[in-house]
Formats: sequence, C-alpha cells, structure tokens
Amino acid sequence: MNNYKIKNWYVILLLLFILFFLRFSLIIKSYLLFYKFIGFLFSDFSTAINILDFGFADLIVSILLIVLVPSLILYEKNKNNLLAVVLNKKLNFSSFTVIILISFFIFAPLITDSNPNFQKDIGVTKLLPPLSSVDVITLKKVKVINKDKSTFLLNLKDDVVKNSFNENLIFADSVKLGEPVIFYQKGKEKEIQKNKLQSVNNIPLIEKKHFLLGTDEFGRDIFSRLVYGARISLLIGLGAVFISLLLGLSLGFLAGYPGGFTDSLLNRFTEVFLAFPIIFLIILILALFENSFFTVMLVLGFSGWMSLFKIVRGEIILLKKKDFFISAQMIGLARHKLLLKEILPIILAPVIVNLVLLYGNVILAESALSYLGLGVGNNYPSWGAMIESGQAYIDKAWWMIFFPGLALFFTLFAANNIGKEINIHYNPALET
Amino acid sequence: MKKELTKVLFKRVSTSLVVLFLLITFVFFLLRISPGDPSQKFISPRLSPELVKKVKESFDLNSPLLYQYKAFVINLAQGDLGISYNYRMPVVSVIEEYLPFTLIFASLSFIIQILSGFLLALITVKKRDGLLDRAISKISLATYATPSFVIGVILIFLFSEKLKVFPSSGLRSFDAGSFSFLQSLTDYISHLVLPIITLSLPGIAIYFKYLRDNLEDVYNKQFVINMRALGFTEKVITRKHVIPNAINPLISVAGIELGILFSGALITEVIFALPGMGRLTINAILTRDYPLVIGCSIVAGILIILSNLAADIIRASLDKRLIKGSLN
Repeated sequence: MNNYKIKNWYVILLLLFILFFLRFSLIIKSYLLFYKFIGFLFSDFSTAINILDFGFADLIVSILLIVLVPSLILYEKNKNNLLAVVLNKKLNFSSFTVIILISFFIFAPLITDSNPNFQKDIGVTKLLPPLSSVDVITLKKVKVINKDKSTFLLNLKDDVVKNSFNENLIFADSVKLGEPVIFYQKGKEKEIQKNKLQSVNNIPLIEKKHFLLGTDEFGRDIFSRLVYGARISLLIGLGAVFISLLLGLSLGFLAGYPGGFTDSLLNRFTEVFLAFPIIFLIILILALFENSFFTVMLVLGFSGWMSLFKIVRGEIILLKKKDFFISAQMIGLARHKLLLKEILPIILAPVIVNLVLLYGNVILAESALSYLGLGVGNNYPSWGAMIESGQAYIDKAWWMIFFPGLALFFTLFAANNIGKEINIHYNPALET
Repeated sequence: MKKELTKVLFKRVSTSLVVLFLLITFVFFLLRISPGDPSQKFISPRLSPELVKKVKESFDLNSPLLYQYKAFVINLAQGDLGISYNYRMPVVSVIEEYLPFTLIFASLSFIIQILSGFLLALITVKKRDGLLDRAISKISLATYATPSFVIGVILIFLFSEKLKVFPSSGLRSFDAGSFSFLQSLTDYISHLVLPIITLSLPGIAIYFKYLRDNLEDVYNKQFVINMRALGFTEKVITRKHVIPNAINPLISVAGIELGILFSGALITEVIFALPGMGRLTINAILTRDYPLVIGCSIVAGILIILSNLAADIIRASLDKRLIKGSLN
C-alpha cells in the first residue's frame, strides 16, 4: 500500500478525460468551427476578424488546451524539473482544490453549459433550487436569405459559443404537445404554433435544462457563475501578487542594498502603509476613482507589498556581509544582476511562501470588495458579489450564498495549506 | 530606567505622529485629485447662479490645491476638522457619536478573542495530539480560511432566519423607546451576540494558532525539562515560566490587531448594519464627504498608534531588555 499513491497527474488526466467524454459533441463541433475559421482567415480576413470575439477565442483556447495539456503532462512527468515534481506529488485535499480551480479557469467554456450572464424568462427560472430543471422549447431560426459563405460559420458559431442572450429559447414549467403547443410559465397558459418550433420527425423538440446548483434572482445559472467567478478570483490574484512581487523586490533591494538614508525613508514609507487599515485605503481609492478589473488588481497589488518588502530588505541586509556576495560585488556585477543572480535564488523560499499566502489574502480582499459593491463590476461574476446579492434572498434561497461561500472557503484553505507545504518543501526541518 | 522609558516613548510617539501626518496629507491630496465634485450634489439646477457660486465657494474646492492644504493644516493645528458635508455638523461631533460604540464593540471582541484563544491553546497544548487537540486545530484552520462575511451571513441564516433567536441587524429594536433599563440592556446584548461572534472567530483562530505554537516551543525548551527534573509542579512551571515566555511575541500582534479593530470592524458592521466607525468611514468615502473621511482617518491612525504603543509598553515592562534595544 505504501508504494501505491495517487499522484496529481492521474487526477488531472482523469478529470480531463471525463470532461472530454461529457462534452464530446461540443468539442467536435468546436474543432469543425476552428477549422472553418482558419480557412476563412486565409480567404476573407476581415470577415474572420469580425467573427472573432472573446467568447469564441476563449472556446478555441480551451479546446486546444484540452488536447495539449494531457500530452504535455505525459511528456513532462518523467523529467527532472519543478513541473514534474509538482505533478508527481501525492494528491491531497488542497492540491485537488487547486486542480479543480485551474481547470475551472482554463476550461470554463467547456465545463459550463450556459453563459454566466444568460437570462431568459426570469419568471420561470429565477431562484430555482439546486438540481432542478425546466423545459426548453426551441424556436425555428429565422431563415437568412442572404446565402453568404460566412452564414454557415456564423450559424455554427451561434450553436457552439454560448451567448448571454438567445431569443430562440423559451423556458417553461411544463409543456403540453398538441396543435397549438401549450406551455405554462408561472401558472400562465401560453400557446405557440407547432410549425414555429424546431422539430424532429414532426414532433417538437423539447429539452430539459438542468441547473446543477440552482439559479439566482435573475435566473442565471449559479454553477456557471461559480466557474467563471473562479477566473476573476484567480486572475486578479495572479495580477495583484505579481505587482506586489515587483514592488516588494525592487523596493526591498533599493532599501536594503545601499542602506542609510534611502533605507530609513522607505521604512517610514512602509510604516505609513502599515499604520492604516489597508482595506480603507483600498476602498478610498476604488470609490474615488472608478472600480474596474484593472484598478482592483492594481490597488490590491499596491497594497500587499509590505510584507515582501520587509522579508527582502531583511535578507539583503544579512546577505551583504556574506563572502560570496562581496566577491560578486568585487567582480563588478551590475546591480540588477546582483539582485537576480545572487540574491533572488537565496530568498526564493521565503518569498514564494509569502506569495502564496498573499495570494490567499488578495482573493479574500477581492471577495470582500465585491461584497461591498466595489469589485470588478457587473460584467463579470464574482464570488463576493454573488454572496452579497444572495443576502437579500437568505430566507428563500440558501444556495445563492452557500456555494460561492464554499468555493471561497476551499480556495483560501488550499492557499494556506499550499503555502505551508512549500515552506516544508524548502525547510524540511519544519516538518514535525 | 524611567528616564530611558520616557525617552523611548517620546521617540516612538513623535515618529508615529509624523507618519500619521504624512498619511493624512496623502489622503488629502488623493481626495482632491480624484474626479468628481462633491458640491454638485447640493446644487439643484433651479438655484440662481449667484447662489451656485456661493455654495461652491463654501466648499472651498476650487482654490489652488496648496492654498487648500495650507488652510487645512492651519485648521488641523487648531483642532478644527471642518464641517461634514452630509451631516451638516462639525466632524468632531459626528465622530463622537460613532466612536463609543466602536470602542465598546472592539474591546469586547478583543477580550473574547484573547481569552478564548488563550484558553483553547492552554487546554490543547496539555493534551498534545489528542482528539481534542487535532479537532480544534482543524477547526481553527477552517475558521481562518473562511471570510468573515461568509461567517456572518451563515450566522444570520442559522440564528435569525431558521431559529429566530437573535435579530439580524441594527443595534436596537424598533420599539426600544418604551423599554425599561433591563429590557434595553438585554435588547442591546441580543443584537450584539452575532456581530461579536462574527468579529471574534477569525481572531480567536489567529491567537490560538500563535499561542499554541509558542507554548509548544517553550514546553520543549531545556529549562522546562530541567525544572520538571528539579521537582517543580506542572502548575508552577506553566504559570510562572511557560506562559510569560510564550506570550511575549503575541503582544505586538495583539497591539496591531487591536488598532485595526478600533478603526472599525468594517465588514461586520456592514453585514449587521451597526453604527460604528467602519461604516461611517465607508459611507463618508462613498458619499465623498471629504472632511469626514479625513477625520475618520485621523481617528483610526491615532487609535492604531495608541494601541501599538500600549503593546510596546506592556512588552517592555515584561522584558526590560527591549527598552535598551529600541534606544540603539
């Protein structure tokens, strides 16, 4: 039993295989679309560029990656590098969470079956509990008279890429077949001509739309909002941590290396930042200037560098007296080379641990900001904003706050644990 | 020793005040360079042009920045923080209304955090790796990873919506005017139970983790083993030697935490709609009430400086070497 352990890459491959299996037809259609699109790119460049939008590009990237990632894993797993070490680690709870989150991040268009902002027939779809489903009637598409070459491509794209609105779908509580077809929306009886509907063998096509985790107050699918919300959290976290890393490293180097006046000046500057509850400063800046994706990322990045600064400065002051560093200076290495080649490799371990913990803090801060209504705005679903909107329906719809709360909890828990694991990886003495 | 202590204190306070002044200058200029004009809210299109001009002049936002700053600094030196745009009252009296609640709320929560963290750490460290120890460690990790607004919303869901034990928001009931003293006291308490739990749980987890690690470290030190060998009772070792040694690094953490608590438990106050400094600050920021924003920052800064100072004094009185260390 000891020799046998579940490694991380087994799970990644298994999950990707399941995803591939579940969404097989979608993936095949997307590849067809991609093929046609490439053809168009060479024959009719401007039309092709017009077709290309974010959702389409997103889908293309995920269908390419769903093939590339497994091959990359199989290729890299036996090599001797950091990626292979990570892939061959034993699976635990936090690494599983991270795998899930990253696959949410990359494969969001494949995992979800509806756009996170999709809303139609709110009366029927709003506040549905988890695991519920409604009937969907599909109207026949209006025939496009202009038989262009690009029509096929556009139709295929409409079929594959999920839009935030589709006028050809009707959601209904129940449907009675007949002539005309009768359907019920919130107790109201409505009818529609049979020949307007899309049908197979002259029987109207009625599908079931499942809401795995229920819907919110606008009838939007909570599962897909959760999946796309992971993107916001991860992206903002990555960006903000990167900004903090740059600031902390460069300021720490500037303060620690020459010492003296710059050092005390920068120290006072850091104290200014530490002396004030930083969340107020963040809110101040976001409220005074506009709150968008990039401002949130920038502000969070600018507010998290203090701990890194302290670590880097302290380590550099210690390093300055070491022999190897002095000899490197004597040789005449440029300052940036001193930082990158002599200092960075040594302070890597504490810096990485700090970055991972910072990452958790940034995600927490982002969700708190979204909760206060100062997040990335309404165009993107965010976990904090989902909880905030769910609070008004707390007596009717617990799922609106439960699932995003759970997602946040798992993410933060995993970030804390992984910080600890990396720490142990670099300092095995800590493991007791 | 006393002379040295006052010297250290003077140095600390003066540098802190300089830092505070820099911070307020930063906030001042940030407010002025931001887009938007707060006086616009008070001008209706039907006002005559002269009146509009008068209103705009009363806000004093169109004169050059440095003149505004000079006036601000002179007023600040006289203790005048200006008049709040929204409340139409001096900033000082607005803050006077909100500060007492925050002070009481924060101190209560702080005491609960320290005491429960301390007790839990003591209990678990005595039965190391027992069932209780492992359970509490796991729970504290989980609490640490839960955002406080999630905790608050879950508590509201459980205790206000399902069980209907505690009210979900506010500080008093609607009919509180007719209550006797005892009734209004219980009213306050029942309104404060959920906020205090929400505010305290993450803090308890932090203190527990810190103290638990420190206590374990000290218990494994050589001198404790020596004392056991010499026949001291476990009680004496724990009380007189282990706890004072373990508690020292915690005090500065507690000072920082207390300062942040005093400046307003923002999220908790928003969830439960409590009249505290955090919500006052947020509202001031969102409605662009410039004097009030600066007033709140000053109060927050002073409270943070004071609590850090208190923590340093306590640490210095526990360990006299620290005074000499900070002199050099």
